[in-house]
Amino acid sequence: MVPVSDRPRIRILILLLRRLGTGFLTAFAALTLTFFILRLVGSDPVDTLLAQGLTSLEQAEQLRKDLGLDQPILNQYASYLAGLFQGDLGASLYTRRSVLQSILEQFRWTLELAFSGLVVGILGGLLLGISASWWRESSIGAFAATLASLLTAVPVAFLGIVALWISSKTPTSIPRTILPTIVLGITISGPMARLILAHLSESLEGPYILAARARGIRRSFRLLWHALRPILPPLLSLIALEAAFLFAGTVVTETVFSRPGLGRLMVRAILEGDYPVTQGLVTLAALFYTGSHIIADWLALLFDPRLRELS
Amino acid sequence: MRRKLGMVFSIGWIMGLVLLSVLGPLLMTLEPSQPIADPLLSPRTHPPLGTDALGRDFFSRVLYGSRWTLVAGSLAAAITVLGGTSLGLAASVSVRWIDRFLIGLINAALAIPGLLFALLLTASMGPGFRTVILAIGFGLVPGYTRLARAIFLQVRHEEFILAARSLGARPISIAFRHILPNGLRGLMSLAALHFSWSLMGITTLTFLGLSGDPSIPELGALLNAGRQYIRTAPHLSLIPGTIISLMVLAVYHISDALD
Repeated sequence: MVPVSDRPRIRILILLLRRLGTGFLTAFAALTLTFFILRLVGSDPVDTLLAQGLTSLEQAEQLRKDLGLDQPILNQYASYLAGLFQGDLGASLYTRRSVLQSILEQFRWTLELAFSGLVVGILGGLLLGISASWWRESSIGAFAATLASLLTAVPVAFLGIVALWISSKTPTSIPRTILPTIVLGITISGPMARLILAHLSESLEGPYILAARARGIRRSFRLLWHALRPILPPLLSLIALEAAFLFAGTVVTETVFSRPGLGRLMVRAILEGDYPVTQGLVTLAALFYTGSHIIADWLALLFDPRLRELS
Repeated sequence: MRRKLGMVFSIGWIMGLVLLSVLGPLLMTLEPSQPIADPLLSPRTHPPLGTDALGRDFFSRVLYGSRWTLVAGSLAAAITVLGGTSLGLAASVSVRWIDRFLIGLINAALAIPGLLFALLLTASMGPGFRTVILAIGFGLVPGYTRLARAIFLQVRHEEFILAARSLGARPISIAFRHILPNGLRGLMSLAALHFSWSLMGITTLTFLGLSGDPSIPELGALLNAGRQYIRTAPHLSLIPGTIISLMVLAVYHISDALD
């Protein structure tokens, strides 16, 4: 452990770097885990190809050599890491195309869906959470709170199907492109609203709210400024954690609406036993996920002085 | 009071589903896998929920489907609870480096988003219904272990543990006689929460078509199969979807009440 300095600026810098370090270690451990789970738990991928009659016995030997599967596992691990640092994720067993290239091709679709879904989700979550807090005493607030927990329990797949059903009933057709965004946004807004409500209720008990009230500040301003502002750092971390929901959501949403994207690529790779594609996708997702966690913690450290004192 | 009522409804609904799916085959004379009438009939007096795309009785398919989902979800949750509780207990009582190692492993697994970790396990074992159960069961172990360990650590700092230790009790007996029984209450809520997640996870993976065998009428698979008839026969996907949602919601509610 690096001793934390007394000088505030250096102190923050050390804390930020330390977080980067632990994040890097976690990502590395996740990559290692991915590699060994795929290679040690499962069956030999070339055997799967043989069983499907997609390759002959002689070709299988050659394929094993090409893929380096005849090497000891630690050598394979070393070349996987070496490839990763050069931006090489290997090639698909079926199409022989570069994994990175197929991921980059599909990335645009998933990014578009994930980003627009996240925006809708944040807005929906704020709206639902704040209304549940504002009308706390009445049935409107109870309804908003119940709706939020209901949305947490409804599977994305079912929500998507209900959306398809409703859009097939409406006389004016809803554009098919915004339907997936709305579905993904709604699923994200459920857990988001629940956490916003929990944080807001706690924040409203704070002494600064009483102080603001004593100064004669209006209730709406107290809620939207005095109570909401201190919970923004945990909300930022929450949005980074939503990356997990986001991923699960996009995989399912893409399947429901038969949309291209990384989720469909993943499902197809699993069904075909195309392990380089699976490995590449999980690797990138783990890097992205740890990266967003680091950024969230950095933002929290920068915005919330209390965290600097504690750590 | 309202909370108690919700709990009663939740338990009643789950018990009802369990009863129906156990007794289903006795009540039903219709085969879920054989065509009995014209395809894609809408719900009516007979057959009560209409028929699917192959003319099979949809009511018995839904009954069998609930059974598959409940059994698969329970098995997966059993794996999670057994694995996570033992790992958490081991981490909380063992020497520092074992605890550190386990925590490192858990954090590595949690750096891969939940569903993706389950998909990774599915990929390594190859698609199949057994795989789906194992993938969800083991996929939820890391998160459960972390929470269970936190519960055990809290118990470990109680004074009666110190008393037992100073009387010369061995670590193993402290773990099983004192730490485990005193952590049980927290573990029950945790187990219920993970049961709701395993139901959600199982139906998601089967919805994605990863159970391999399309003839198994599991609720997630039914949801996916009904998707293409959403315009002509919406009940084929709306009914299984509603049952899944209510199942997850009820278990979630029970876990909330236990907390």
